[in-house]
Amino acid sequence: MSAAPKVVPEANPLFDKKLLQAFVDGVIKTLATIAQTEAKVGKPFIENELTEKGEIAGMVGMVAPPLKGTLLISFKREAIFHIMENMLGEKHTEINTEVSDAVGELTNMIYGTAKTALNQMGYNFEMAIPSVIRGEFILSKSTKGATLVIPFDLKNSSTFHVKVTVQM
Amino acid sequence: MFPNDIKFLVVDDFATMRKIIKKVLNELGYTNVEEADDGKNALPMLQAAATSGQPFGFVISDWNMPGMTGIDLLKACKADANLKNLPFMLVTAESEQKHILEAAKAGVSDYVVKPFNAATLKAKMERVYQRHSAAPAAKAS
Repeated sequence: MSAAPKVVPEANPLFDKKLLQAFVDGVIKTLATIAQTEAKVGKPFIENELTEKGEIAGMVGMVAPPLKGTLLISFKREAIFHIMENMLGEKHTEINTEVSDAVGELTNMIYGTAKTALNQMGYNFEMAIPSVIRGEFILSKSTKGATLVIPFDLKNSSTFHVKVTVQM
Repeated sequence: MFPNDIKFLVVDDFATMRKIIKKVLNELGYTNVEEADDGKNALPMLQAAATSGQPFGFVISDWNMPGMTGIDLLKACKADANLKNLPFMLVTAESEQKHILEAAKAGVSDYVVKPFNAATLKAKMERVYQRHSAAPAAKAS
């Protein structure tokens, strides 16, 4: 295992390609293994702050002193229904507590997988229990600071995306 | 492998993971499966079943749960004369060496890292069976 990466204020880890890859791999591996679902990564981009408008999302606070950040995984309803059908054999047509629970568990697994890869690189992200935002929500300027957005497509043409913010 | 009538307790705060594990167990022919949503609820279920003469034969528990974590549930089982030999598998998103060592030190039978597939869970269960049937008394210490 390598030594902890030197954190300098001007070096936002969001611009570290390895961090991006850890989250991409976390999503692809989790969905392929537990839900036999193929996810294709789109072109990532950076937004100025963490905002979100969606229907259902899993969120987890990422703490790796001195870094603090947020991981948000926001699903279009067709995307989470497709994943749940593959994962559990359950057909859902509305966002309910079962869908919410599945989003929480998927967020947990994706964060866990990415965290393991990141910690092997020398970061020290801690364990955390995710929360789920459900219903039509608007997350307005929740966190200031650059946000990495990674879009994903599923075979049924539905989409979801991962947002990562690191506060310096 | 474990007999098909063995009673399982699946412990996870997420109903989704309980469903996934139950689905895999059913596919493997195990239909006697009960559930608990954290260690605090699981422990009295295990104790009551043990004293009633219809004990659980296998625990599959998440690590990271509010209330009582999986590792604390494992430690509580090891401290209970009726439960210390019970096969206990931890399922967790943590695959770092320090966590695996902590679980091994606490006496876990095996450890499955999420995400996993049915083949992985089956292989781990076979390994637990071999370990427990080879030296059940050794596990008690």
